[in-house]
Amino acid sequence: MAGWEIPLGAAIAFAAGAIGTAWAQSRIGSAGAGTIAERPETSGSIIVLEAIPETLVILGFVVASMIIIMVE
Amino acid sequence: MDLGYINARVRGMHSRLLGPKAFDALMIQQDIPSLVSELEKTPYRDEIQEASVLYPGLKGIETALRLNLVHTCQKILSLVEGSDAEQLVRIILARWDVHNIKTVMRGKHLHVSPEEIEECLIPAGSLGEPLLVELIKQPDVRGVVDLLATWDVPFARPLTQYFDEYASARELSILEYALDRFHYENSLALLKAGKSDHEVMRTLLMQEIDSLNLKNAIRMNRDRVDPETAEKYFLPGGEHITPEKFLALVKAGTIDEIVGNVEGTPYYFLAPLIPEAMRTGTFSVLEKELDEYLTRKGTGVFRSDPLGGAVVIGYLWAKQNEIINIRIIARCKDARIPDAELEKELRHV
Repeated sequence: MAGWEIPLGAAIAFAAGAIGTAWAQSRIGSAGAGTIAERPETSGSIIVLEAIPETLVILGFVVASMIIIMVE
Repeated sequence: MDLGYINARVRGMHSRLLGPKAFDALMIQQDIPSLVSELEKTPYRDEIQEASVLYPGLKGIETALRLNLVHTCQKILSLVEGSDAEQLVRIILARWDVHNIKTVMRGKHLHVSPEEIEECLIPAGSLGEPLLVELIKQPDVRGVVDLLATWDVPFARPLTQYFDEYASARELSILEYALDRFHYENSLALLKAGKSDHEVMRTLLMQEIDSLNLKNAIRMNRDRVDPETAEKYFLPGGEHITPEKFLALVKAGTIDEIVGNVEGTPYYFLAPLIPEAMRTGTFSVLEKELDEYLTRKGTGVFRSDPLGGAVVIGYLWAKQNEIINIRIIARCKDARIPDAELEKELRHV
């Protein structure tokens, strides 16, 4: 298998992770901004919470890489 | 508009409400000056410092609490502007308009001085302080109603409609009833069916209407008001107190009959208190229980839907309750009421 399926599979894996991350970060970001506005001392925790969804896009990247490297 | 930001801010504000420890610290204070010092350690600091300069003592605390409530309501309104929750907040804040208009009319009806009327106003609704000051300047109730009509305030409609009846009977309750009825009918009409936040608000309003009907019916029973007159004061829109139940409560000849009419409604918790209230003719205990019930329901919605507009409603109820409790503490300290009695007076929700 060396046609268009591999790059397409890799693209879907990466894009889905990125979209999921974007959606989660937008929700966490707006709520986090509200929390920091009222309680600035929570900034540290909010930044950590904001970063957690990044794992999704990293996972998507890893899966996409594995598809490209391992699938022949 | 995303309610995530608004709810997060409101939750942040909710986390700054005074907890049991802060209330204990306020309650152990011996007098008003020490209470003022203790309040300066709370989020009320700015308002307390501002008001203490102008008015020392109890008046300073009451002014600060009023200022704080007004600031909080204005902040909430500015936060929710343009969002789904705006309508809900406007409905809640409209109760302050009703309170203020009633206060001004009562003051004018009883020829109270403008300064005394102003002290009782809470400009947290759509009628701001400058408008209320103008209202106070009016010579009589007629002037107040006319000015509201000139400004095209919706509350002027029921007042204008019932003014002739008031003028001939000289009974302020006619105008007050018209105002309450308009407020609740208007508020319920603004709520849309099928929206969960609106349903929550509708239930709260219906419980408020029930509570008012219950209070009025029991009072009218004590005063032996004839059912025909009583019927005119029934507020429609309640959940459990139907017109038939309301009339049955007014007509009830014995305490057991009154208790029997409350049976089967969520207000049955009042049953053990009714005999004592009827015997002594003091309804403050009944009213306190009903108010606590409403506050419990109102503050409870804070935890209902974390992503809905109910969070804001719950916060506004909790804030109002906090201010009422601080006011009770300040008044009790001023009157040197023992701590055990003060504890009983507080609204625990």
